[in-house]
Amino acid sequence: MSSAASTAKIPSPLRLLLQVNLLQMWRKFRTANDQSSLLVGTLIVFLTGYTVLASALFYRALHFAGRFPGLGEMLIERMIYLLFSFLFLLLLFSNVVIGYTNLFRNKETAFLITLPISAQDIFRWKFLESTLLASWAFLLLIAPLLGAYGLEQGAPWHFYLLAPVLIALFIVLPAVFGCWIAITIARHLDRRLFQLLAVFVVLLAFLGLRAYWKPEVLDDENMESRVISVLDRLLTKTRFSQFPFLPSYWLSSGVLHWVEGALSAAIFFVLVLLSNVAFFGLLGFTGTGRFFYSAISATHSRSHVLAQWKWFRNWTSRRRQFHYRAGPMEWFLGLVPRLEPDTRAVLLKDMRVFWRDTAQWGQTLVLFALIAVYVSNLRHFTQQLANPFWVHLCSYMNLAACSLNLATLTTRFVFPQFSLEGKRLWIVGLAPLGLVRVVRVKLMLAVVASLIVTLPLIWFSCHMLKLPLEQKIYFAGAVIVMTFTLNSLAIGLGALYPNLKEDQPSKIVTGFGGTFCLVLSFLYIVGSVLLLAFSSPWGGMDFVSPNFKVLGWVGFAGLSVALGWLPYRWGLRRVATFEH
Amino acid sequence: MIELKNLVKHFGDLVAVNDLSLTIGRGEFFAVLGPNAAGKTTTIKILTGLIKPTSGSASVCGFDVQEQPLEVRRRLSYVPDFPFLYDKLTPWEFLRFTGQLFRMDEEAIQRSTRELIPRFNLESYLRQPIESLSHGTRQRIAIVSALMHDPEVFVLDEPMVGLDPHHTRVVKDVLKERSLRGMTIFLSTHQLSIAEEMADRIGIIHHGRLIAVGTGEQLRQQSGTDGALEKSFLSLTAQEANFVEEKAALKDRAPEITIA
Ligand SMILES: Nc1ncnc2c1ncn2[C@@H]1O[C@H](COP(=O)(O)OP(=O)(O)OP(=O)(O)O)[C@@H](O)[C@H]1O
Ligand SMILES: [Mg+2]
Repeated sequence: MSSAASTAKIPSPLRLLLQVNLLQMWRKFRTANDQSSLLVGTLIVFLTGYTVLASALFYRALHFAGRFPGLGEMLIERMIYLLFSFLFLLLLFSNVVIGYTNLFRNKETAFLITLPISAQDIFRWKFLESTLLASWAFLLLIAPLLGAYGLEQGAPWHFYLLAPVLIALFIVLPAVFGCWIAITIARHLDRRLFQLLAVFVVLLAFLGLRAYWKPEVLDDENMESRVISVLDRLLTKTRFSQFPFLPSYWLSSGVLHWVEGALSAAIFFVLVLLSNVAFFGLLGFTGTGRFFYSAISATHSRSHVLAQWKWFRNWTSRRRQFHYRAGPMEWFLGLVPRLEPDTRAVLLKDMRVFWRDTAQWGQTLVLFALIAVYVSNLRHFTQQLANPFWVHLCSYMNLAACSLNLATLTTRFVFPQFSLEGKRLWIVGLAPLGLVRVVRVKLMLAVVASLIVTLPLIWFSCHMLKLPLEQKIYFAGAVIVMTFTLNSLAIGLGALYPNLKEDQPSKIVTGFGGTFCLVLSFLYIVGSVLLLAFSSPWGGMDFVSPNFKVLGWVGFAGLSVALGWLPYRWGLRRVATFEH
Repeated sequence: MIELKNLVKHFGDLVAVNDLSLTIGRGEFFAVLGPNAAGKTTTIKILTGLIKPTSGSASVCGFDVQEQPLEVRRRLSYVPDFPFLYDKLTPWEFLRFTGQLFRMDEEAIQRSTRELIPRFNLESYLRQPIESLSHGTRQRIAIVSALMHDPEVFVLDEPMVGLDPHHTRVVKDVLKERSLRGMTIFLSTHQLSIAEEMADRIGIIHHGRLIAVGTGEQLRQQSGTDGALEKSFLSLTAQEANFVEEKAALKDRAPEITIA
C-alpha cells in the first residue's frame, strides 16, 4: 500500500462517485445533442415557452383572485399555502417511488456494495441522485409560481434572490422522508403484518379523505350568498394547509412575509425551515447507511413479496407442476377472429409482460384511481352550474384531462416498446414475422387497450354532465382520433429514437426521445382541444363564423396527421432498414 | 482465508444454499462446480456481502462479512457473472475510478495497470467508451479492474464465459501466478477442464449442498469412477439426485422414518 501522504490526495468515495456520474451525464447529453440538435432545440424552446406561459397564467390567476372584494388577499394567501402543501405531498410521493427504484432496483448499487465503500457513502450518492431525479420536474411548477407571485405583489428585488434558496431548502425535506419511507418499504415489504398495515392505512386514508371532502348539496337559490357560502366552505376545508408543522407552511409563510416586507417574521420562518433541513439532512447523511444495507440485502434475497403467505406458496407450488394449458389471456385472444398465430404470439407476450410487471401496474392504478375520483365528482359539480357555457367548458376540459392522462400512459408504456423489443431483437426481430409487423401489432394493441380506457371514460364524463347523445358521439369521435394519434406518435418516436442499452422502461422514457414524445403529445392535446373548442357547434360559440369552424376541424385533422401518422410512417421506414 | 459456517439461504420456500460449510486456506485455488441452479452464485453473493444468509456465517481474512463488511471488501475482489460497468466511461477512466476507490494513488495505479493492460490486450480500447466494446472485452476490463489492487481474496463467478481461447489462457495464467504468490482464489465454473487444470481443490455443489470436496483424484475415488473428471461429476451429481428421489419416495411410503 502507498504512504499516508499520497493516499491523502485521493478523492473521497463520494467525490469519486459524483465525478464519474457527472461525467457520464455530460457525455449522454453530448451524444444526444450530436444525434439530434433539433430535438434539443425543441426541448429548450418548449421549456422557455412553458415557463413564460405558466408564469403568465399564474399571474392572471393571482390577479383574478386578488380582485375579489374584501377577500382577495386572503384568497391569494390560501392559494399559496394550498399549492405548496400539495407540492409537498407530490414531492414526497415522487421521492418514495423514484427513491425505491433508484436505491433498490439499480445495478450500480449492487456493484458498489461489493467495493470498499461504506453503505453510508453509497446511500449519500444515491440519495443525491434520486432527489434530483424526483424533484427537477417540480422546479418547473414552483419557479413560475413564485415568480408570478412576486410580480403580482410587486416584491422587492431581494425576493428573487431568496426564492431559489427557499426552493432548494424545501426540496430537501420530502427527499429525506421519501428515502426513509422507501427504505422501510424495501426492508419490510414481504412481512405479512407490514402488508396488512399498509393496506389498512391506505384504506383509512381513503375513507378519511372521502369523509373530509364530502360535497354538500346546496339548496340555497340565491346566487350571491351561494358564492359566499361556497367560498366560506372552501376556506374552512383548506385550512389544513396552514397546519404549522407542515414544511410547506414554513415556506409559504416565509414567502408571504418577505413579500409583505415583514422581514423579521420571514427570516424566522426561513430559519425554522433551515434548522429542520439541517437536522434531518444530517440524520439522513450520517445515520441511514445501516438500514440501507439491510434493505438492499432484503430486496436482493426476496423471491416474491407475497412469499410469506401460505396460500401464495401453495398456489406457486401448484404452478410449478407444468402442464400445458392456455391461460385466460390466451383463451381471450383465441376468440379474436382472423388473427395470425405469430401476431397472436406477440400480442400475448406483450400483454403478459405488462401484466406481470407490478411496478407498471401500480403507477397505472394510481392514475386511474385519480381519474375515477375526478369523474365521479363531476355530478356534484354540475349541480352548481346553470350556465351551458360552463358545462361546455367543462366537457372540453374533460377531453383534455382524459387525453393528457392518456399521453402520460402512452409515453410511459408505449414509447419504450420498440426499444425493449430492439434489445431482444434476436427473438422477435429475426423471426419470419418481421419487425415492421411487430411494430404494427404493437400499435394495434396499444390503441385497443387505450380505447378500452378512454372511450368509457369520456362517455361516462359526458353522462355526468348530462350532455345529449349527439354531443356524446362527437366527443367519443374526438377521443378516438386523439387516441390513435397519441399512440402512433409514441410508437413512431420510440422507433425513431430507440434506446437499446437500457432494459428498464422507466429509464428509457426519461431519455431525450421520451421527453420529446411527452412534449409533442402535450402540444398536440393543447392545440387540438383549443381548435375543437373554438369550432364547437354548441355552447355559445356562435360568435365564431361557420367558415372558421370548418378551418378549426381541418386544423385538428391536419395536426393529427402531422403528429400521429407522419411519425409512425417515419418510424416504420426506419424499422424496415433497422440495423442492430 | 475464507470460512463458510453452516450457511443456509432460503428464497421463500426454496432452499438455495443448504447447510454449507467450507474452509479455504491462504493461497489456495478453489473451484466450485455444480449443475445450473445449484446455488453457486448464491453462495458467492453471500460471501461478498451482497445478500445476508438466512443462517450461518461467512468470514474472509478473519473478518465476518456481515459484521465488518468494509474490512472484508478492502481485501476481496469480486467479478460477477454479469459485471456492471459505467457505459459512458472509457476503460481507462473506469480502471482509475476503481483503483481510487481502493485508495490506490496515481503511481500505484500506473504500476499495476502497466503490467495488466498489455497482458489482457486492452491498450487499443483504452480510449473508447465502454458501451461500444464487445462482451469479452468488457469481461476483461472487469477482471483487470478487480486484479489491479492485488486483493488477498479473489472471487470469480464464471469468468471465462465469452472469452476467446487466447484470453482464457491469459486469465488462467494470471490467476495461477497470483495464487502461487499467495492470493486466495474462489472460482465458480462449468468448465471441468479449468477446474481440473488449475484448482488445488474442487467442490461440487448440488441442490445447495456441498456434496463433495477434494482434489481431482479424491473426487474420482469418492465417485468410484476413474478417468475424466466429467465422469466423476456426472456420477456424483446423479448419485445425489437418486438419493434425494429415494428419500422423497421413502418419505411417502413410510413417513415415520427420518433420514439425515
Ligand atoms: N433473488 C432470488 N429470488 C428467488 N430465487 C432465487 C434468487 N436468486 C437465486 N434464486 C434461486 O436459487 C437457486 C440457486 O441459484 P444460483 O444462481 O445460486 O445457481 P447457480 O449455481 O449459480 O446456477 P448457474 O450455474 O445457472 O449460474 C435457483 O433455483 C434460483 O432460481
Ligand atoms: Mg450462477
